[in-house]
Amino acid sequence: MNNILLLEDLPEIRAWLKVLILQVFPQSHIQEAARVHDALELVTAIKFDLALIDLGLPDGSGVSVVSALRDSQPECQSVVVTIHDDDDHLFPALQAGAFGYLLKEQARELIAEQLKRMRGGEPPLSPSIARRVIAHFAAQAKVKTQQRAYSMPHVLLTDRENEVLLRVAKGYTLPEIGGQLSLSRHTIADYVKQIYRKLNVSSRAEAALEAQRLGLFDS
Amino acid sequence: MRIRAVLSTLALWLWLAVGSSHAAVLTIALAQSAQSDAAHFPADVAAVATTLPDDWSQSRPDHDGSVWYRAHFAKPAGNDDELLALYIERVCTNLEVHLNGHRLYSGGRMQEPLTRNCYRPQLVSLPAALLNPVGNVLDIQVQGSALKHVAVRARAGGLSVLRIGPAAELGALYAQREFWSITTLQIASVTLIALGGFLLALSWINRKERYLKYFGALLIAWALLSLRVWWPHWPLETRGFELLVCSAFALAVGVAVQFFLSYAGVRSPRVAGGLLLQCLLIPASLAVTAADHFFLLANTWFALMSVELIASIVYYLRLVWTSRRVDFWPMGLTAGGMGLVVLLELAVQYGWLPIHAVQPLNFALPMLLLGIGSRLLQIFGRALQAAEINRAQLEIRVREAAAEIESNFAQMSALRVEQVTEKERKRIAADLHDDLGAKLLTIVHTSESERISTLAREALEEMRLSVRGLTGKPVQLADALADWRAEVVSRLGQANIEVDWRNPPDDLQQTLSARVLVQTTRILREAVSNIIKHSGASHCKVRTSVDGAHFGLLVQDNGNGIPMELDGKLDRGHGMSSMKHRAKQLAGQCLVESGPGYGTVIRLTIPL
Repeated sequence: MNNILLLEDLPEIRAWLKVLILQVFPQSHIQEAARVHDALELVTAIKFDLALIDLGLPDGSGVSVVSALRDSQPECQSVVVTIHDDDDHLFPALQAGAFGYLLKEQARELIAEQLKRMRGGEPPLSPSIARRVIAHFAAQAKVKTQQRAYSMPHVLLTDRENEVLLRVAKGYTLPEIGGQLSLSRHTIADYVKQIYRKLNVSSRAEAALEAQRLGLFDS
Repeated sequence: MRIRAVLSTLALWLWLAVGSSHAAVLTIALAQSAQSDAAHFPADVAAVATTLPDDWSQSRPDHDGSVWYRAHFAKPAGNDDELLALYIERVCTNLEVHLNGHRLYSGGRMQEPLTRNCYRPQLVSLPAALLNPVGNVLDIQVQGSALKHVAVRARAGGLSVLRIGPAAELGALYAQREFWSITTLQIASVTLIALGGFLLALSWINRKERYLKYFGALLIAWALLSLRVWWPHWPLETRGFELLVCSAFALAVGVAVQFFLSYAGVRSPRVAGGLLLQCLLIPASLAVTAADHFFLLANTWFALMSVELIASIVYYLRLVWTSRRVDFWPMGLTAGGMGLVVLLELAVQYGWLPIHAVQPLNFALPMLLLGIGSRLLQIFGRALQAAEINRAQLEIRVREAAAEIESNFAQMSALRVEQVTEKERKRIAADLHDDLGAKLLTIVHTSESERISTLAREALEEMRLSVRGLTGKPVQLADALADWRAEVVSRLGQANIEVDWRNPPDDLQQTLSARVLVQTTRILREAVSNIIKHSGASHCKVRTSVDGAHFGLLVQDNGNGIPMELDGKLDRGHGMSSMKHRAKQLAGQCLVESGPGYGTVIRLTIPL
C-alpha cells in the first residue's frame, strides 16, 4: 500500500530501519538510498507516501531531499531520522517541510510507536522546537511590519495554536495540554500539524523574500 | 634722568596752569646778523638787522658756514639773585655763545665734522658776574648748511627766537622740549630695537612668516635712523652724513614696503629687486650729483619712496578689507597713520608746514610702529594659542583614536578567538556524532544483548550531553526547566508513573552555564532512571525552586526506598555516589533521604 523512501548512509542502521518499517507497515515497498544524490533521483522517478530521511549524509544534508519532496510531492510525509536531538539541526528540516522527527537511538518499540502516531497525524513537538517556532513567527511579524511593500503570504498562527506552542515551550506534553485546554488528542494533533504546515509556508515565503531582496540588489 | 625730566615737565605744566607771569622771560626776536667765519662778531662786515627765527633757507639760501648774530638786552626785571639762562628752541647745525665779549658756551665742534644739534634745544646759563643791568651784548655764532646741500628742511641752517629769563623757568621749558624730541625718541629706539630683535628671532624660527622678518628689520632700521636726531657727534662731514641718512631711509622704506606686501601675502621678486636697486641707486645718485642739487634730488627720492610706501599700505589695507575684515580697523588706524605721517613729513619737506611740525612727526612714527608691532605680536600670540589648542585637541583625538583602535582590535581578536573556538567545537561535535555516534548507534540496534544496547544508548546520550557542554552557550533556566519537565514527564509517563511537576510561578531571568545544565541533566536522568528501574513507585513529585543564588531541585517518589544494604558504599547501579559527585563538582549538594516503605527524596542544591 505504501511507497516508502529510506535515506540512510549507515548500512546496519538502514537494514535495521527497514526491518522496523516492514514491521509497522507490512505491505510497503521500500526504496533505499545511501546518498542525497540517489534519493533525489528516486524522488523524480517514484511517488512516495512516506520518507524517512537521515540528515547527515556523505554528500550533503537530508534537508534538501525534504525540500525536494515538499516541492514535487506535497502529499508525501517526510520524517527526519537523526542522531541529532537538538533544535539547531532539526529546525531547518522542519522549516523545509518535515512532518516530524525520530531519534535513531530510541528503542525499537518507541520508534515504531512514534512512526505510527505520525502516520496517524500526530507529529511530535519538543519544548526547544516550540521555542524556535515562536521566535520564528515573532521575527516574521516584525519583518512584516517593516517590509509591507513586499507581498508576502499572510501566515499567522491562531490564538489556539499560539496557546499550544506556549504550553509546549513551558515543558507540558501534548496530552497534558489537551487536558488543560479540554481538547481531544486529535484536536491538539491538528494544531501541531497546522503549526508545522504554517512554519513551512512561512519559511518558504521568507526564503522567497530573501531571494527577491538579493535579486533586487543584484539588478 | 628721564623721570626727572617728566617730573619737571609736569611741574612746568602745573606752573603754567597756575598762571605765573611770563613777564620775567625776555624774548629776543630781533638781532643783527653777519656772515663771517671770524672768531668774534665781525666788526668789518656790515651787520644786517634780522628777525628771529631766521631760517637760512629763506634769508640766505646759498649760504654755507658761519653766521654771527648780535643782540642787546637789559637784565630782565626780577630778583637779582636769580640765576638767568638763555634758551634757544632750535639752532642748526651748531652754535657758540658769547656774552659781553666772553665765550660762554659751545654746542660742540664748530668745524666739519660738525656737532649736529638741529633737533636739540639749547640752554645756556648766563653767569651773574658777566651780566650788566643794561646793555648786555649777546653774540651767537651759528654753523649751518644751505638748504640745497642737505636732504631735509629740518637740517638746513637756522636760529629760533632767543629767550632770556630765570634758569629754573627756562630749564623746565628746555627739559620739556628735550624730553619730547630727544628722550622719547631714545626710549622708542630702545623699545623698537628690542621688539625688532624679538621679531627677527621669531621670524628665524618661523621662516614661513616672512612679514615678521621685514617688520623686525623695519623697526631696527627706524631705531638706527633715529640716531640722526639724538646722536650729535657724527664723525662725518655734512654731505657724507646726509648721504648716510638718505641711504638708511631707502633701506627702511624698502623693508617697510616689503613688510606690507608680504603681510598681504604678495611675494614678488621683481618688487624686491626694484627696492634693492633703489637702495643702491639712491646713495649712488646722491653721491654723484652736484652739491647744489642735493636737496632737490633727495626730495625727489623721498617723494618716490613715499608713493611706494603709501601704495603698499593702500594695497595691503584693500586686501585686509576684502579678506580679513577684523584686522582692518587696528591695522587701518596704524598703517593708515603711518601713511599720513609720511605725507605730513613730505609736506614739511616742501615747506607747506612749519619746521617744528617735524618734532611730533618724529615722535608719532615710532609709536605707530610700536602699535603695528604689538598688533603683530597679538596676532602671533593668538595663532600660537590656537595652535596650542589645536595641538591639544589633536592629541586628545589621537589618544581617542588609539584607544578606539586598541579596543576594536581587542574586540576583534576576542571575536576571532570566539569564532575559531566555536568552529573547532562544532567540528569536534560533528566528528563525535559522525564517528562515535554512528558506531554507538550500530551497537544499540545490532547488539543481541539488551544490556549492551542500553549501555550503548546511555553512552550515546552521554556523548550528546558532552557535546552540548562543549558547544553550549548559557541557557535560560526557564527553558532548561521546560526541557527537563518534558523529558521527565514523557519518560515516567511511558513507565506509567504519575508525575506532579511544579516550577516556580514567576518569570525566571537566571541562566545556566552549559556545564551546570549538562551535569544537572545527568543527575535528573539518573534520578528518573532509578525511579523507573528500582523504586516501583506509582507517583513522583518534582519541585524546582530558585532561592537567591541557588537553584533547588526536589525529586520525591512513593516507592520502596533504597534498601539499607544498598545505601552508602554499596551502590549497585543506583548511581547515588555519581549524582553526589556531580553535585559536588558544581559546588552544590545532593542529599538523598530514603527508608524502606517511605520512598526516596533527592534534594539537589546548586549555586547559579
